[in-house]
Amino acid sequence: MPAPSRVQLFATCLVDRFFPHVGHATVRVLERAGVDVHVPDGLTCCGQPAFNGGFTADAAAMARHTIDVLSRSGDPVVVPSGSCADMIVNHYPELFATDPEYAEKARELASRTFELSQFLVDVLGITDTGARTGSQLAYHASCHGLRGLGVIDAPLQLLRSAAGERCAELPDGRTCCGFGGLFAIKMPHISSAMLQSKLDAIQASGAEAVVATDVSCLMHMGGGLRRRTKAVRMLHIAEVLAGPDHD
Amino acid sequence: MTEHPQPAAFHTRVDSALADAALHAALSLTTGRLASGRASAFASLPGADGIRDAARAIRAHTVSRLDHYLTEFTAAAELRGCRVHWAETAADAARTVVGIARASGVSLAVKSKSMLSEEIALNHALDEAGIRVVETDLGEFVVQIAGDRPSHIIAPIVHRSRADVARLFKNTLGAGDDEVASIPAMTAFARKTLRSEFLRAGMGISGVNLAVAESGSLCLVTNEGNGRLTTTLPRVHVALLGLERLVPTAADLGVILQLLARSATGQAMPVYTNVITGPRRKSAGPEPGEPDGPDEVHVVIVDNGRSKLLGSELAEILYCVRCGACLNVCPVYREIGGHAYGGVYPGPVGSVVMPGLEGLERWHDLPNASTLCGACRDVCPVRIDLPHLLLKLRAQEAREGIGPWWLRLGIRVFTAAALRPRLYRVLGNLAGRLSAGLTRNGWFTWMPGHFGRWTESRDFPAPAAKSFTDTWRGARERGKERS
Amino acid sequence: MSSARDRILASIRSGLPHAELPGATEARPVLPPAPAAAAPNDLSALFEAALTALTGTVHHAATPAAVAHAVASIAASCGAGTYLAWDEAEIGCPGLFEALTARGLRRVTYDLPFDAGGRDAGVRALEDVGLGITGADAGLADGGALVLASGPGRGRLASLLPPVHVAILSASKLIPSLPALLAARPDLVGRGSNFVAIAGPSRTADIEMTLTHGVHGPKHVHVILTA
Repeated sequence: MPAPSRVQLFATCLVDRFFPHVGHATVRVLERAGVDVHVPDGLTCCGQPAFNGGFTADAAAMARHTIDVLSRSGDPVVVPSGSCADMIVNHYPELFATDPEYAEKARELASRTFELSQFLVDVLGITDTGARTGSQLAYHASCHGLRGLGVIDAPLQLLRSAAGERCAELPDGRTCCGFGGLFAIKMPHISSAMLQSKLDAIQASGAEAVVATDVSCLMHMGGGLRRRTKAVRMLHIAEVLAGPDHD
Repeated sequence: MTEHPQPAAFHTRVDSALADAALHAALSLTTGRLASGRASAFASLPGADGIRDAARAIRAHTVSRLDHYLTEFTAAAELRGCRVHWAETAADAARTVVGIARASGVSLAVKSKSMLSEEIALNHALDEAGIRVVETDLGEFVVQIAGDRPSHIIAPIVHRSRADVARLFKNTLGAGDDEVASIPAMTAFARKTLRSEFLRAGMGISGVNLAVAESGSLCLVTNEGNGRLTTTLPRVHVALLGLERLVPTAADLGVILQLLARSATGQAMPVYTNVITGPRRKSAGPEPGEPDGPDEVHVVIVDNGRSKLLGSELAEILYCVRCGACLNVCPVYREIGGHAYGGVYPGPVGSVVMPGLEGLERWHDLPNASTLCGACRDVCPVRIDLPHLLLKLRAQEAREGIGPWWLRLGIRVFTAAALRPRLYRVLGNLAGRLSAGLTRNGWFTWMPGHFGRWTESRDFPAPAAKSFTDTWRGARERGKERS
Repeated sequence: MSSARDRILASIRSGLPHAELPGATEARPVLPPAPAAAAPNDLSALFEAALTALTGTVHHAATPAAVAHAVASIAASCGAGTYLAWDEAEIGCPGLFEALTARGLRRVTYDLPFDAGGRDAGVRALEDVGLGITGADAGLADGGALVLASGPGRGRLASLLPPVHVAILSASKLIPSLPALLAARPDLVGRGSNFVAIAGPSRTADIEMTLTHGVHGPKHVHVILTA
């Protein structure tokens, strides 16, 4: 597809309310790449937590709303979250298997929805945003983006442009951090045990910052890291790629 | 399955597993080795993806025509002299085996590893009937003398150290110090002890990895050789076959065998790939018969909920060939081990099979003991979409009202707000303003009620007083005003 | 009155229309071709490397006399005075038994009786035999594995009961892999009551993932490769 000149940004419920600076960084990255960004009015939640909890009717309601908002325009949709993009791309069509009208709308939306790094590398053909950092970065591959969407190399290519040799995959970087949405409160002890294993790996890596494509993983790992050390930051990939003055 | 613990104890079992440092180390070691073995084996297998696609297609096709292939298998097996029995329930299956043992005057049976035999609580039934049964797989032998249960489909004593085994051999079997001084010594001791059982047993009981419909054959793979001895030395062989564990032909078997050992342990082949087609051939006219092998081969085809599972949205789980690869990569299994799941089958496959066979009322915790990370689906040799099946179970739980009420309420409330963007925004801004004074550096270190489950082990970020969208819109408007 | 079989098949048939079976096809799937051997012209070398890696031992012998010599050496090194064996005609090494007798080795023959007591005694008589000698139907180059089909004069126990197993295998019987064999020779599977592929000595890693050999099956596997 030819490089689009304008995209819609679906910030996601977590970024919108808890990590707004990630939303701003995402806008800056996209604008610097020559793409105009529009944030449509009325976006709330893609419905993934409800879907993962088995509450399919609730999820479908939120999905219909999200589809309606994002279908007011035919512009591609960029999402700074692998799991929310995965929800739209892989699970929206499945949610509406018995609803022909929304099945078609879901398919259409899925065809133009991308996680941020996927959009930069696979659609715009950019692996270097021009941002540079001197920090030692460890990359954690968020599960839904990795295995659901197949976003494997794009984040690393982008991060290596920014940090060179100072960026490495976290040891056991493809092992789930233990967030799992509602899992973190349904099975808190298992979630915490998985978190501790992940934090051990982070501390052993010597990294100054852990980078991921999903703030859900980051708030779980970051929230846990705060109880152990001040030495390691959590960064969304947009923050690295936006450069230092993105707010 | 009277010996399995009640589901209410799930969280208790999980907590005790999480507190067990020795278990944690053992799980890391075992699953790490097995998973990396699998990864290397697949990396060096040319055309691995195509072989997995074919294996999936074979299993899917077979299950979709299961009545046909079971009928074909039975006819071919009977033609070769097997006796084929059908058991609808676990109790029927156990009773059938006991019946065969009694009819043959068996007082001692040897057994090679069979998860299905655990499922039907066979050892218990044989004990009750006064028939002594001895496990011959080294790990299962240890489990048996310890009065324990296996905690992994392939490596039954992941949870036990060499010191544990040494102590068991000494205290229960009277082994001398030199006989438990090292792992090779303990292995030699087990070989000696079990050899005398093999030589005296009147019956051998085995599972079946895969049955071949066309020839009526049973394929059984082991590394130890106990599968061969169990199915060769005793006069009577009883094979337990889950009704879905079939393939159409030997060529199909060959395809799946390329993946089975590689997925389970990383070996290109198991040491023994044993294919049994009927009891030993008797002499026919001038042609002499075979000098050894069992004189009776019984196949017990077991349903125990499988046919019902077949007629459901979970049917894909029947493609499973019980390799255990999903356990080895599951980050939850790696933390809690097999016993915490509480059922015969643990890990990702167990989280679908246990509720699939026995119902969600009993096993509702298992489908929730997952982050849906997908690591299992990545390694399944027949590409079962385990996260998809877990989601189906969760949807069933939600429909049936199983699960915590506060979660259901929370989702309902959130959804109601999310469908009303202006209200959503107002409530979000309110939460942000209220949080401002309550947090340390923008994070909560404590939250009330069920939210406290989060802050037990991590901080929670404070909501912003102004959302990203509002700030963006504000800046956009200001930009427009200026220009 | 229906049987358990009837009820189970009926249950399957009534479930199938509702079964969600992704990827299932009406027709039998087309199978991928069996993988080609890494070095098709040198299956011997592949076989030897694979079996050696599994701690089996490969010997080479050009004549029946050399085979007999190799077998006798193995027997001497493991201190075996008696052996179980396939019939000489099945092994395919004429004069082997005579040569072994000349070296003081005694073959223990058996044909297990059908009655339980006779069988019991028959089996126990084999307990202390130190060596088993067989031929092979094929060798699988990629796995270093022997393929043995049971039959008259081809008992299973020779490759199973004694702690040492020696197989005499002609290099002309080497095949790249098990799937290649099963696709090409499905008849081998059901020819006798037992078909087995043996990849080296018996092993386990059940205790602390530590590998040991000789759990139940033979601890030592020797293959004498002939032309």
